[in-house]
Order: sequence, then C-alpha cells, then structure tokens
Amino acid sequence: MSWLMRCVCLMTLLGLSTLASAFDLQALSVQLALPAVVQGDFIQEKHLRALPQPLVSKGQFVLARDHGLLWLLKTPLQQDYRINANGIARRDADGWHMLPSKSAGAEQNRLFFAVLQGDSSGLQRDFDLSLQGDAQHWQLRLTPRSLLLKQVFDRIEITGGELVERIELLETQGDSTVLRMPASSSTASLSEEQQHDFAQ
Amino acid sequence: MTSPSKRRLPHLFLALLLAVLALAGWQWHAGAPLSANLMELVPGAAPDALVERAEQRMQEPLNREMLMLVGHADRNQAIALAQRLGEQWQASGLFEKVQWNLQTDLPALRQQLLQGRLAMLSAADRKTLIEQPQVFIGQRVQTLFDPFTGFSLVASQDDWLGLTTRIQESQPKQGSVQLDIGSGALIARADGKHWVVVRARTEGNAFDMKLPLQVADLLDQARTQARATDAQILAASGLLYAASGQHQASREIAWVGGGATVGILLLLLLAFRRLRVLLAFLPVLVGMLFGAVACVAVFGHMHVMTLVLGSSLIGVAIDYPLHYLSKSWSLRPWHSWPALRLTLPGLSLSLATSCIGYLALAFTPFPALTQIAVFSAAGLTGAYLTAVCLLPALLNGMQLTPPAWPLQVAEALWHTRQALLQRIPSPWLLGLTLLFCGVGLWQLHAHNDLRQWVGSPPQLLDEAKTIARITGYQPTSQFFLVRGSDQQQLLERQAALSQRLDQLVTLDELRGYLTLSQLVASPSEQQQLRTALAALAQHWQPLLALGIPESALQTELAQLQALPTQGIEDVLAGPLGEPWRTLWLGDTREGVAAIVSLQGLNDASLLQLQAHDLAGVQLVDRLGELNGVFADTQISAAELKLLSCVLIVLLLILPFGLGGALRLVALPLLAALCSLASLGWLGQPLTLFSLFGLLLVTAISVDYAILMRERVGGAAVSLLGTLLAAATTWLSFGLLAVSSTPAVSNFGLAVSLGLVFSFLLAPWAGSHEQPVT
Repeated sequence: MSWLMRCVCLMTLLGLSTLASAFDLQALSVQLALPAVVQGDFIQEKHLRALPQPLVSKGQFVLARDHGLLWLLKTPLQQDYRINANGIARRDADGWHMLPSKSAGAEQNRLFFAVLQGDSSGLQRDFDLSLQGDAQHWQLRLTPRSLLLKQVFDRIEITGGELVERIELLETQGDSTVLRMPASSSTASLSEEQQHDFAQ
Repeated sequence: MTSPSKRRLPHLFLALLLAVLALAGWQWHAGAPLSANLMELVPGAAPDALVERAEQRMQEPLNREMLMLVGHADRNQAIALAQRLGEQWQASGLFEKVQWNLQTDLPALRQQLLQGRLAMLSAADRKTLIEQPQVFIGQRVQTLFDPFTGFSLVASQDDWLGLTTRIQESQPKQGSVQLDIGSGALIARADGKHWVVVRARTEGNAFDMKLPLQVADLLDQARTQARATDAQILAASGLLYAASGQHQASREIAWVGGGATVGILLLLLLAFRRLRVLLAFLPVLVGMLFGAVACVAVFGHMHVMTLVLGSSLIGVAIDYPLHYLSKSWSLRPWHSWPALRLTLPGLSLSLATSCIGYLALAFTPFPALTQIAVFSAAGLTGAYLTAVCLLPALLNGMQLTPPAWPLQVAEALWHTRQALLQRIPSPWLLGLTLLFCGVGLWQLHAHNDLRQWVGSPPQLLDEAKTIARITGYQPTSQFFLVRGSDQQQLLERQAALSQRLDQLVTLDELRGYLTLSQLVASPSEQQQLRTALAALAQHWQPLLALGIPESALQTELAQLQALPTQGIEDVLAGPLGEPWRTLWLGDTREGVAAIVSLQGLNDASLLQLQAHDLAGVQLVDRLGELNGVFADTQISAAELKLLSCVLIVLLLILPFGLGGALRLVALPLLAALCSLASLGWLGQPLTLFSLFGLLLVTAISVDYAILMRERVGGAAVSLLGTLLAAATTWLSFGLLAVSSTPAVSNFGLAVSLGLVFSFLLAPWAGSHEQPVT
C-alpha cells in the first residue's frame, strides 16, 4: 500500500480542506500549504509480521508545491524517483524513465494530484478524517470508507507540528509501514540541482 | 364452370380458410412468432460445428450486453449517477446483471494468486527467473524498498519472491479505463468528462421481440435523468440496433403496406366506380394470411424483413381479381363467373409462372430469400384460390359498367406505340435498346456488403465509435480459432500466434488481443519453472541480507515446488480468469480449442497474412466470408434465373408452342437486362438483392406478356389490363424503394425498374406484329 503513503504524505504536507473545529482541517491545510518547498531526510520502516527486524530504508525527499516530489533513496540501495503530473519516473544511468502506468497506478496518480491541488473531495469520499491536537502538536487519522480499501488496510495515522513528522500505515494483514521525517525544513525555492531534476 | 361447382367451391374454400385461420391462431397464441435476428437471414456458412460454436460464443455478448458510459465533468456526480442508474436497471427485472463497480472478492483473488504462482507467471518474468535468477532477486529487493510499486494483495511473508505482484502487474490492461479505488467504478477520462463504465447483461437476447424495445425505453429514461443533472449518456449494444430495426420495420410495413393498400383501393374505385369492387382486396388479405402461416409452419417463425418484403406481395396478389375485373371493358354485360371462366387459364398460368419465379429464390443459399419465397408462393396461392373460388360468388350479380376513359387512355397509348413503330421499326428499336443495355451494363458495378442489410441509424454508430474511442474497447468481428491435441499444444500454438500478433501491435495495426496463453503457462513451462526454482537458493543472498530468515525462503520454495500443475480450467475458475472465460471452448472431438479475440484492428488482411502458416490456427472472419458468399451467390442467382426461364418455357410450350413460349420469356429477360442497364446508368450498385429482384421481375412480367399475347377483348383492353396489373404491382414494390434498409430499397428499385420495362416491352408478345393500316 505504499502508494497510499505517497498520497497521505502529500496530502498532509500540502493541505486538506474544510471541516470545522478550533484547529480544524482547514487550518491544517493552510498551515501545510504555506511553504513552497519542503525537504529533509526520511526513514522508512516496513514492519513485516514475519520479520523480527523492520526493513529500514533511508534517503532524502524534496516536495515542491508546483513541481512534484523527488524521492531519493540512499540506503540500503540507491534509487531516485520522481512523481509529477506525468506519472512516476525512475532514474537510471541515462536519466529519468517513466514507469509504465498501470490501471491502478494511474488512479494513484489521480488521487495524488487531487491532493497536490488541494482538492480533498476525492479523499473525503474514500476516507473518514479525524483531527486532534493543536497547530504545534496534531494527529490526523484516516479511516478508509470504501469496502475495497477496508479489505486492504485499517487506518493511517499522521502526526506533526509545523510540518508533518510521522506517517504510519496499518495494513489489515498485520504489516505496517512507518515513515519518519524528523528534520524537514521549508524553503522558498528549489536549488539549482533540484530544479534540474524536476525539469528533465 | 358448372352450377354445382359454383355453389360448392365457395363453401369448400371457406372451410379451408377457417382451417388456416385456426392454424394461424394456434401459431400466434403464445406471442408473435417474429424474429429480428439478422444472422438468421444469411447463409449458415460455418461448415464446422466448432467454428459455429466459437461464433456463437463471440456473438452472444453483442446480443445480450449493453455497454453504457455515464459522463459528467464532476467525477463524484458521474459515479453517483452510474450507481443510481445501475440500481434502477437491476430493479427493472430486464437484466440478469448490471455492473457499475468491481466488487472484487479479495480473499479469492489472493488465493488464486498464491495457487497460480507457477501457472500464471508471465512469459517475460518466467524468462528472467530461469535465465537470470540474480536479476530476478535484485528486482525483488528493489520492490521491497520501492515506495511506489503498486499495492500488493498478498502479504510479503506469504510471497517473499514477489511472484504474485509480478502476476498482478502483468495482467493485460484492458482499454483505457481505470479503477477508482474508492468506489470500485471503472472510469475513463475524455472530452473534459469522467466516464463511468456500466455493463448490463440482459435475461433474454436481442432477438426476443419485446426486450430490445424495453431496453431502449429504459435507456431513454436514463438519458432524461442524465440531462437533468448535466450528465451525458453513451450506450452501445446489439439490443439497440435490434430496437431501431424493429421500429424501422414496423414503420416501413405501415408505409409499404398502407401505401399500397390505399393506392390500390383508390385505383379500384376510380376504375370501376363500384364500392362492392373493393371486395377484390379480399384475395390480398387471404394471401397475406396464407403466406404468414406457411412461413411460420416451415421455419418456426418469420423474420421482420420477410414481412417488409412480403408486404409488397399486395400488389401482385391484386392482379388475379384485376384479370377478370378488367374484362368488364370488353365483356358486356359483365358477370363474375363467366369472366372468371374466360380468364382462368391465364390466371392459372400466371400463378404457375410467378410461383416458379419466387421458388427459384428458395434455392439460393440465403435463408432470407427462402423465407420470402415460401411466404410469397403460399401467399399467391392463397390469393389465387380466393380469387377463383370465393370472390366470383361475392361479386355475383354485380353490374360492372366501368367508365370509358381508362380504355381511351389505353387506346391512345396503343396508337402512340403504333405510330412510333411506323417511324422506327421494331428491329431498330431493338438495336437501340441493346445499345442502351450495353452502355448501361458497362457502367454497372457490383457491390455487396452485409451492412446493406441493416439500416443502421448514424446516431447509434456515432455513439458506438465514441465509446470505442473513450474506453479503448474496440472489439472486432474477426477472431482466431486455435486447436490443439491437448492443452500443452494449444497453449504452444497460441504463444506462436501471440508472437505474430505482437508484431501487429508494435506496428499499430492492432490495439491488443486476448489469448489464454497470456493467462496460463503450459504444463511444460510450469515444470521448467519448478526445476529452475531449485537453483534460486544460490542467488538469494540479497534477500537474506534484509533479514528474511533462510528457513522462510526454504519453506516458500518447497511450497512452490509442491504446487500442482494448473490447467486452463483451474485458472479460469478464479476471479482473474473472468475476462478470458468466453475464450475457452474446452474439449472437442480432436482435442481442445480456444478463441483469440482481437481489439482495434486496422486491416483484416494482415491477420490472414500473419497467421496463414501457423498450424492449428484459423482466422474466422464471418463478415469477410459472407461478403465473399454474396459474390458467389450472384453467379448462382444468374444460373437460377436461367433455370427458372427454362421451366417457364417448358410450361408455356403447351398453350403457345415453342416459338411463342420463347418469345414470352425473351421479353421479360430483355426487361431484366434493361433494368440492369438502368441501374448502371443511375450509378446504383448491383447488389445481390437487386439481382434477386430482377429474378422476380422475370416471373411477374411473363404474366404481362401472356396477357398481351392472348389479347382477350382486343389489344387496348389487354394493354389496359396489363397497365392496371403493372400499376398495382409497381405501387407496392416502388414503395419498398423508400426503405432505409439499403438491401430492401435496392430490391424495390430493381423490381420497379423491371416492371416499367416489362410493361413497355409486353406488347411485343403478340405473335404477329401487325403494322397499323
């Protein structure tokens, strides 16, 4: 369910819309949509039921409001990904290569960009959203509504302050994935190299 | 006719009529025995039972399924409307199944993926695993970390090697629709709208007479609902064509039948000025009854096209009473029985020749024409019997004193002809006619296509094209039939065919195809995989490095190697097999067989080229074959025409002698030639149907020639009789020409032209052309 990870991550980084309370989804989405660029390190832990140790991978990410997402996996193997309106691309020795878009993959992209554009109607159809805490310490829980999604995972938990700090995805079968972004920072613009990566 | 027979005949006939009426009542008691199945009208060309079964399999969805797209600029509204319509349709009771979303049974899907890890792994993945096991393992490690691979249905610990994910991802993509994860709806994006795919499968098929109309009504209601919310609906189904065909047929039957009836009744009133003479229409009604009853008795049902073409019989059937009614110009005073006695030989000959003409149609390989032939022959017999047995009794005692003007018109025509002949003698006219024919024939071109048989409304065709463009579903009528001695050979042959088809896909000549070999590996391929798995342990170090216990991998390997070999049926039974199920034909006498279906074909001839040298592979192109059959049948139609002429000559030798008989048959033949030439001059194509029309003209116009040869009551009276007969016949066939079904209108045009020429040429039937002195 890692595609959901992507959606959720972006959704929370970039913002959601309406639902009312003192610190509500509207406020959260405004808060998260503020920076043009968010970047930092990520640590992904895949907790598989059958493994005593999680599968840990680390790297860096760059999320640009107007361009998309760069996901640069560093360990245990090195692999760069880029996601934008055209789909998912993977980088090898001679540059970016679009991954063949499969039926479900393209659908993921749609959700993904619904989120990028701050269109939460699609997500609210598929998830129940509940928000707790304040602007400095908040927790958002997404529970799938549709039968299809319910058969695949239980819920998604997202916590953060000024920016998103932790995303946890719990699968129905007992596996879970935790994505931590402990030290993200926001900047106003992309570096030259990052612009180059998005441009190709 | 003696007095006792005068009394007995009507009673006998009434008894017969009652019996036929009772039979008709019994035939119709359980609903109209009508059919609208186009394929019933074309030759059952499939010589092979298996090919026929495959064809039925491929056609069934066309006649039972409806594909609807619900489009709206707003995705949620499109889904909501599709759901609402889906529920309404399901509740309508017309459909066996209405599907607007995928309700995938995930546990069953997981189960199938796990069980099919050997059998369902794609050829490319199998190759990697066998030939480059280290690459295979490397890719697996990558996907375990890859945050962007598609979601896997099977938990990692149940499938460390990632075979199920590979199987999931290698499933051929069907069209350009995508799954909406939330709702399960299949959605395509085009023209600024989101289109939700709704599939509905009816209980009955398109050839049920009521169902298509009900489905079309339901669709109209859906369109109205959609308009209220700014949504748009597109639909494609054989059912809609059937509905439109039925509407069209009933409209045309009303036009042709109604028009001919009104015209003939008016003509009767105008020519004879007696209300009672309208009884002469009775033979027409009885004729229709006899025709319908015979048709249902012989074929079990009647096709609507037979009914449309059959309604033209009105004009032929009225000729029998007209024969003796028109004698009222020369026979003074006119009495029904004597007039009949005078014309009975002519009437009987006319029935015989017409029946020969119609029955010649019955020997063509076209069921459509066989039906028309039976309908017409029985109908004419009924009309003849009514005219001979019943009508004179009904008209007994009626005084007929027709106005003189029709006769004056006929006389004027006759004099004009004589005057013309004085200036230009017959041989010259014949020469000119032949010249006209020669040049006309030279311009004539034959054109046959099954599409002429259906008057497809452009709106339906446009919608079907739009749907094909939006969804990428472009089913083609051609398909491959692949046979093998067993499943192993079948799958090998399909794989060989796939390689050829892949080339066409690369060249953009083919959009895609569906074959069982995409879904199931052959038993020997499954065995190869099993063997190759044993060597995998040497390469799985990278997986162990991630912390996956070696014991888990060993257990998985043991499980995989113990998986039983799966056959085609096993795989088809699971949820992933669904799209392929119709393709499997199962056991045959020689082994097993399956269909390979095609999508979005540009050039059918390429298929033949690609597959001609593959063993056990047969291209089935029913449409192409049928169009070929049309061309062949034209030749046999011409032979039939000659044969029917020979028969008519034999029949006519007795009353007219050989010379007379030849002359009587040569004129209709010349008339047919002239109409062929006219088609050429008019730029109209010669179709199978126009040829059959001309075949018919020969039979009808022999009648005119006989009338003009016998000249009972003088040339002008006979010409008038011929004119009346031709006018009524022309009325009904001429009206066929307005049909929106190209085949029917072609038929009408050919017969109309033929009748005009037959009338013009008929006066030359006289044995000794006497110049006017």
